[in-house]
Amino acid sequence: MGKHQLGEFEEVVMLTVAILTDEAYGFAIIEEMEKRLNRKVSIGALQTVLRRLEKKGYLSSEMGEATAVRGGKRKRFFHLTSAGKNVLQETKEQRLGLWNAVPEFVVKFSY
Amino acid sequence: MNKPNQISPPRWSLKFFRWFCHPDYAEDIEGDLFERFEKRTIENRAAKWLFTLDVLKLFRPGIIKPITGSQKLNNYDMFKNYFKIGLRNIRRHKTFSSLNIAGLSVGIASCILILIYVNNELSYDTYNSNYETTYRVIHYYGQQGEAPDYTSLPTNEYQVWGNAPVAPAMQQFFPEIDKVFRFTSDASWLFSYNSITYSESDVLFADSTAFDIFDWKVIAGNPKTALERPNTVVLTPRLAEKYFGSENPMGKSIIMDNQDPFEVTGVVEVPTNSHFSFNGLISMSTFRNSRPQIFDSWGYVDFYTYFTLKPGTSIEQVQEKVPEFLEANFPNDFNYHIKFEPLSDAYLHSEAGRQPGPVGSMGSIYIFTSVALFILLIACINFMNLSTAQSVERAKEVAIRKTIGSHREALIYQFLVEAILVTFIASILAAVFVIFGHSLLETISGKTLPIDWLFTPQNALLALGGILFIGIAAGSYPAFALSTFKPVTVLKGSFKTSSKGIWLRKSLVILQFSLSIILLAGAAVVSSQLDYLQKYDLGFDSEQMLAVDFGYDDLVQQKREFIKQEFLKHKDVEIVSVSRAVPGDFFPNAGTGVADPVSGEIVYKGPAIYEVDEDFIPAYKMNMVAGRNFSDDFPLDSANALILNESAARLFGYPNPADIIGKSFRQWGREGKVVGVVEDFNYVSLHEDVEPLSLRFGTRFNVSTISVKLKSDDFSKTIAELENIWQGIVPHRPFDTRFVDQNFNAQYESDERFGMIFTTFSGLAIFVACLGLFGLTIYSTSQRNKEIGVRKVMGASITQIIALLSRDFLTLFIIALAISVPLSWYVMNSWLDGFAYRISLGVEVYAVSALITLLVAFITMSFKTVNAALSNPIESLRDE
Repeated sequence: MGKHQLGEFEEVVMLTVAILTDEAYGFAIIEEMEKRLNRKVSIGALQTVLRRLEKKGYLSSEMGEATAVRGGKRKRFFHLTSAGKNVLQETKEQRLGLWNAVPEFVVKFSY
Repeated sequence: MNKPNQISPPRWSLKFFRWFCHPDYAEDIEGDLFERFEKRTIENRAAKWLFTLDVLKLFRPGIIKPITGSQKLNNYDMFKNYFKIGLRNIRRHKTFSSLNIAGLSVGIASCILILIYVNNELSYDTYNSNYETTYRVIHYYGQQGEAPDYTSLPTNEYQVWGNAPVAPAMQQFFPEIDKVFRFTSDASWLFSYNSITYSESDVLFADSTAFDIFDWKVIAGNPKTALERPNTVVLTPRLAEKYFGSENPMGKSIIMDNQDPFEVTGVVEVPTNSHFSFNGLISMSTFRNSRPQIFDSWGYVDFYTYFTLKPGTSIEQVQEKVPEFLEANFPNDFNYHIKFEPLSDAYLHSEAGRQPGPVGSMGSIYIFTSVALFILLIACINFMNLSTAQSVERAKEVAIRKTIGSHREALIYQFLVEAILVTFIASILAAVFVIFGHSLLETISGKTLPIDWLFTPQNALLALGGILFIGIAAGSYPAFALSTFKPVTVLKGSFKTSSKGIWLRKSLVILQFSLSIILLAGAAVVSSQLDYLQKYDLGFDSEQMLAVDFGYDDLVQQKREFIKQEFLKHKDVEIVSVSRAVPGDFFPNAGTGVADPVSGEIVYKGPAIYEVDEDFIPAYKMNMVAGRNFSDDFPLDSANALILNESAARLFGYPNPADIIGKSFRQWGREGKVVGVVEDFNYVSLHEDVEPLSLRFGTRFNVSTISVKLKSDDFSKTIAELENIWQGIVPHRPFDTRFVDQNFNAQYESDERFGMIFTTFSGLAIFVACLGLFGLTIYSTSQRNKEIGVRKVMGASITQIIALLSRDFLTLFIIALAISVPLSWYVMNSWLDGFAYRISLGVEVYAVSALITLLVAFITMSFKTVNAALSNPIESLRDE
């Protein structure tokens, strides 16, 4: 299924959404990614990817309840769809397949 | 977290975000932004700035709302639909569409071409950066002794051509004046460089301040010093190339008039939209060195004076002090006055006489603009007529659309979009026509018409606006009329074109043909007036008269008698005369005094002056009405005789020419008796009456032209032989010839060009009107197809049917005639009033133009009517 290729950032975002399960909304995803991966993520970059993934059908979203914080704005929670799960799985297998094909000495020398 | 002293995110960034963000995403993203901001305010001082940065990073395609808002999507589709239907309709009704497009494109192209021409006329002298602050002096030289009220003196009594000392005197007297510049009237000079020798016309003496006032394009040389030293000359690029080719002309010497070497100190190009032009400029100091006394003489007239004002001063301030100025500077009570005229009036609005170059006419600008509007109007009317004519066919479409649920506005848009589409196609075609027509217009108008000013963003917008405007104007009637149809009436089949529609269509046709007849009659009047001028008996005969110019050449002047005799020996030469100028040339005026008929005192007037020899009057076949011509039998004629024309005799108070013979005169240092009176002849243009003229004997130094009357069949051969004789006597001087009648007619050139432009565009107008008529004929014959069939079956002849089909039009035509003739008569009469010698407007002009219009109209219609009349009735009756 070669046509479903995930970009690196897309993959990371989807994995983070998976990690956060029910608490995956915009800002939480950013926090999580910054914490785990030690990289800066802008809202713009993240939101664009989230919407794109949603359009592709890998993510679904629903609005939460309004709270007093964040200016009274509701959160949008993202979930992996089954298509999303499949594509993540596929990506993982592709990577593993590649890793397994690398001769052992090359990996050793590279470290 | 809700602390009372909480800072809020930057307002403008938030507003910006809310404006651009896709509405579906706005809420949760805004929440994220807030959350991040709140968190940052605790740990980071730059939170506000980071917030803005975040907002800016959100400004990307995935987040921004679509340009066509979701709520407008429906309209957008409708427009797409209008466009598609419009194109289909254009393609389906090929004849009507092409008639429409052809008419409109010709109309638009004519409009643009006329706009290019008019814009060029209006742009004269605007290239000067001092355009607003530059003025020129206009002078009044009145009869001595009289003292008119100068404030009420009309401007046309003044002349631009004036004296030399006024310029430095003004510079000294008026603190408001910044720079003053003078130049002289043009003259011909002989230019020689190496072996190349030509006589060059339009060479002026000019002050060194020329470039302070006029922004001519300086190609080489220092504008500050180019005209300072004596014996320096500034050339136009054309002359520079003619004499020096690819060499650098700067610093080279040109031998002028076979005498002094002049140094070339500059090359300048005069823009084509300058109210005076030249081929070369010679420094004023050269002139001053040769004739210094002129520069102090207030009576010697040969200079045009221009000046600029200092910033913050006004011409009124200067004008106010003129009486003071004249009192302080003017040596005597010679009846003299000055006024000022802004440079912006020099080309189009100057009434003063003796202009330094050709002037334009506001009148023709108005006329051309109206012609342009007429053509466009006729084209728009075509469009309206054809659209309404088609309405029966379109009515069904409208009714079905309405039944399905179309709003009236939607239908209006539909028709407007169609009209705009047609206009758009027509304007593209018009652009092509303009490209071809432009060079043609340049040829007809004899001017360089720049078009680079057209290609600016503003004009592109203007063009779009124009297309919209014309489209809406032409499409408005069909749009509003057709969209009112009641679907029930139409679909039941009882619908016929409303009588109101027919009435409107008829009045529009009347309007079209009124305009056409006005234009055609105008063209006819203009051309017959020009014809009249060409054939008018001027009072002298210049046919086959060859003029040889030698520009006051000293050697030629010395040998003039010998040249005359040698020329006369040639078998093709009838008579030879030497004079200062020939009719149609430039001539000066002179203060001339003649004894008053009653008191016998010398009274001074300022008639024009010709300097001639004894053969001049017979050579040009002028008639003496009293006294005698100059003659060899009276050797003192060159010192004490004067001939006047009838007008001059009247001017001096002698209505009967014979009475003035033998009276004393004084003129330019000569005194003696008036010996003859010549019959009035038109030595200027027929725009004016014959002005007073005096003819004096031209002594050696005052002649510059030889007139040779030829009686040859082969002019080029005769001229070549005469040139041989000339070269044998004065080889240094080129044999510079022209025919006097051609030269004289050259002054009607601007009239002729006006006539040609006018005729061309009138023709186009009629063409466009005929396109419309053709379309209507197609329509009406197709409407009456069945009627024609029945009539033919009943035994109607072809002629009867053609007459039937044309009869309606004839009525309209007669009404159009009744409207247009009085209008045109009024307009053309006022145009003719600009000529002192004019045709009287007769019935013939209108009869001819009405006949032509009628003929063209019938021929146009006959393409269709004859066809319809000849067709087999079975064809039209069969399809039940």
